[in-house]
Amino acid sequence: MEKVRNDLLQGTLDLLILQSLSATELHGWDIAKRIAIVSNDRLSLKQGSLYPALHRLEGRGWIEAEWGVSDAGRSAKFYRITRRGRRELEAEKAHWLSFASAVTSVLKME
Amino acid sequence: MISVLSESCRLLRTKCRRLFRRREQEKALELELQFHLDELVAQYRAEGMSEGEARLAARREFGAEAAAYREEIRDTWRPPQLAELWRSLRFAARSLGRSPGFTLLAVVTLGLGIGANTAMFSVMNSVMLKPLPYPENAELDRLDRATPQNLHGRVSPADFIDLQQQAQSYGEIAAYSVQSASLSQPGQPAEMVNAIRVTSNFLTTLRVQTQLGRDFLPKEALPGNDRVVIISRRCWQQRFGGRSDAIGRTIRVEGEPHEIIGVLPEAFNDWRHLGSYDLFRPLALDPEQSTDRRSTFLRLIGRRIRSISQVEANSFIANFGARLATDFPEVNAGSSWRAVPLNSTVVQKDGRSFLAMLIGLSGFVLFIACSNLANLLLARTMARAREFAVRSAIGASPLQLLRPLIAESILLALAGGVCSVMVTQWVTGWLTSRSISPNGERVVFLLDWHVFSWAFAASLVTALAFGLAPGLFALRLDVNESLKSGARGMTGGRGHQRFRHGLIVGQFALAMILLTGAALYIRGLNELTNTRGGWQSEHLVSGTVMLPNAVYNEPEKVNAFHRLALEKLGALPGVAGVSISSFTPFFNWSDVRKYLVEGRELPQAGHEPAAVVNSVTPGYFDTYATRLVAGRAFNQGDTLVSPKVFIISQAMALSLFGTENPIGRRLAQTGAGKPNWGEIVGVAADIKSVMPDPGPVTAQLYQPMAQEPRLSNEIALRTNGVTPASLAPVIRKVMTELDPDLPLRELQAAEVTIEHAGYQSRIVSDILASFALLGLGLASLGMYGVIARTMAQRTGEFAIRFALGARVQDITRIVLSSGVRLAVIGSALGVFGSIGISRVLAAQSPAMHFNSPLVLSVTALLLMAIALLASWLPARRAGLINPINALRAE
Repeated sequence: MEKVRNDLLQGTLDLLILQSLSATELHGWDIAKRIAIVSNDRLSLKQGSLYPALHRLEGRGWIEAEWGVSDAGRSAKFYRITRRGRRELEAEKAHWLSFASAVTSVLKME
Repeated sequence: MISVLSESCRLLRTKCRRLFRRREQEKALELELQFHLDELVAQYRAEGMSEGEARLAARREFGAEAAAYREEIRDTWRPPQLAELWRSLRFAARSLGRSPGFTLLAVVTLGLGIGANTAMFSVMNSVMLKPLPYPENAELDRLDRATPQNLHGRVSPADFIDLQQQAQSYGEIAAYSVQSASLSQPGQPAEMVNAIRVTSNFLTTLRVQTQLGRDFLPKEALPGNDRVVIISRRCWQQRFGGRSDAIGRTIRVEGEPHEIIGVLPEAFNDWRHLGSYDLFRPLALDPEQSTDRRSTFLRLIGRRIRSISQVEANSFIANFGARLATDFPEVNAGSSWRAVPLNSTVVQKDGRSFLAMLIGLSGFVLFIACSNLANLLLARTMARAREFAVRSAIGASPLQLLRPLIAESILLALAGGVCSVMVTQWVTGWLTSRSISPNGERVVFLLDWHVFSWAFAASLVTALAFGLAPGLFALRLDVNESLKSGARGMTGGRGHQRFRHGLIVGQFALAMILLTGAALYIRGLNELTNTRGGWQSEHLVSGTVMLPNAVYNEPEKVNAFHRLALEKLGALPGVAGVSISSFTPFFNWSDVRKYLVEGRELPQAGHEPAAVVNSVTPGYFDTYATRLVAGRAFNQGDTLVSPKVFIISQAMALSLFGTENPIGRRLAQTGAGKPNWGEIVGVAADIKSVMPDPGPVTAQLYQPMAQEPRLSNEIALRTNGVTPASLAPVIRKVMTELDPDLPLRELQAAEVTIEHAGYQSRIVSDILASFALLGLGLASLGMYGVIARTMAQRTGEFAIRFALGARVQDITRIVLSSGVRLAVIGSALGVFGSIGISRVLAAQSPAMHFNSPLVLSVTALLLMAIALLASWLPARRAGLINPINALRAE
């Protein structure tokens, strides 16, 4: 399957992170992994590129972090979506989906 | 900028917390990234790589960008605008660090310029802006009785008592009278101290409480009850070791036992008002003094009641003075009273304008320093023209272009500000060490937050203003041109060339003003202190002695003391002449009296001719080598009972008698009753003191000490080839034998006394000289920099000239003439300013001559020489240009 170009659209990374965290709390490595797996490896992030985004979201109060223990028994920083983050995710998701479907319908125009 | 500030204010608290959390945050970030790296290694291992390969691959994937991510992450910890500012500052710090020479030069230049300015501000701050150390000092007035001879005249006891009785609607009024006194403790020689007599309500009027002991009681203001003293904290510490048992101790003041009843608080020791006094005694007026309207020796301080304004208070006092003038015209005609806010009397008007002048001149130094900085920054900006052009080409906004320049300016300003505070501290320390009074009281220059904010504001404003000027040139850069003009950077268009040359011209103009100002003042001061106007001070030893009123209470007792002292001192080996007088010719005489001329119509009351009066013993004229132009000196025959005689100065003779012969004419002091005529027996040469301000009365009158014996005595001995100072111990011994309670003050060579007295003027001349040197140094540095830059920029042109056959001299001449042209224009402009400053100086020191044409031409020549030198140093390199290499480098 073809890989999408690596530089994501502005703001998309935030959305992906929030969505990944919507069900469970994860550390950075797992977030990146999950995004890669779910997108069938079409969206693979550059190593470490999501950390600035994680810290930015944390600074905005959309996600929060806690140190916990990883599956391998190591101490790792786990992120969890906050109530505000969830609201933001819903809004952004709706916006994105409607935007994407609009763009898609225009592109499918014969 | 404002929004950044408000943002940072809002976030200050969070920021502080973050500062402490910062280290933890860093550690956590490290752990988080390490965790990611380890996971990556683990994944590669799982894919079958060896441990080493996996680590290498992980590093390749993640290592290189980790640093950038880290920075990005740190930025998310800061509020967005601060993050931006912080990045700019960090970038600026790095780029300044890359050129340490430039940075050092800029910081030192700024530090010196702002430091000079801030030091002057700190002087003004401690002298003028700080209020006096009395609670509610805004309610305090000094009450002056102005006469045509003395605008800040003193008041007679009877007038004071009248005022005090009528002053319910004004407030409280206290009086004091200044008089040095001898102080001795058991078993120790007497010493002279600054003493003052005060009314018993004096401290309550000032709202000052004694730190130890008590205030004076009203009954202690009665003659006979007044043998109590309050001492200053300084005196308490120096003489009584700061022990609390000093209260109740008995000391001898003017030979009589006095009890110490109180110690004043430390805050009272403020040099600007009465802080230099050590001994406070009650002002006890006997019945005779209480009705005396003639002897004016009191100074008055009033505290207004809250309900009246200063203007109302002043008109109340003025009305009282007007009433006195009509009720007692024979003593008060022509005098007027007024109330002046005490805080405003701390510095006289001329002192204020002097301080303003010093601050203005320090501003010149600052401007010179700043234009150097502007030149340096401009050169730096131009060298980076290509960088600016590239950034502008890829779409940087003007603000983004300017931001690194602003950031550099802010950093330079901060460093310069710190440097300037150090300079200020050093300068004020030096000023303090130069201005210690004989009793150890020193002028304190506070470095308080006023001073710090001044330094900070000055550095920020100057650095931004002078940092932005080159920045504006950067904005005007033609992107196309600078990119085309190759890797050598800009050669500098006409615009900056003019700007740069304008700065140099300005620098030289200001340096010229500073230099002539300093040269004029130093010359004037030297002339003043080295001119002995009608007297000599070589081979003289002099000292002051104060006879206590209580012991020497009859004229005959004073005369007897004088006769004995003259006889014993005259008999000392090596002594050629002895004199006792109430004043020395070194300084101004403060005793102003008015006279009537016999046979003339009575002038209007208050407009009688005035003269400053000196009571002298017969040896006075010989001892000080004051020439008698006509008539005779005083002699042993002029006594209390013989007819009164006077000697007048030439100026007085001329103004009173014109071409007539004054000898034999008679004068009498104005006053009630029948005139007490005295005959003029001699005319003395006019004398001139070494003080910068000679005072309004120029006529001088001498009377025999024996006919009006005075308690305040200046003793002077002319030596016969012996070093004057070597006589001091012998003189002290003789005087102690005469009366052990008589301390001699400032017993030393007269030259030393004169030198000490001029210390303030010398501080001023030192300050002016250092401003001039600093200005000159900075200006020549600026000139050197600009010419050197021109040289570097025109290397190609010069190479072509060489190639076409120019000789080294030709090129040198081109470079030299461009420098000298700027200096000539600058100095020509500076001439106007110099004439201005000589006017300002002349207005402030009327006794000094500021002979400007000579000084002006010498300083102009000096500036030319310096300009020549500053441009010759870089011009010398013209000879080293190798045309072939230079052209190949093109």
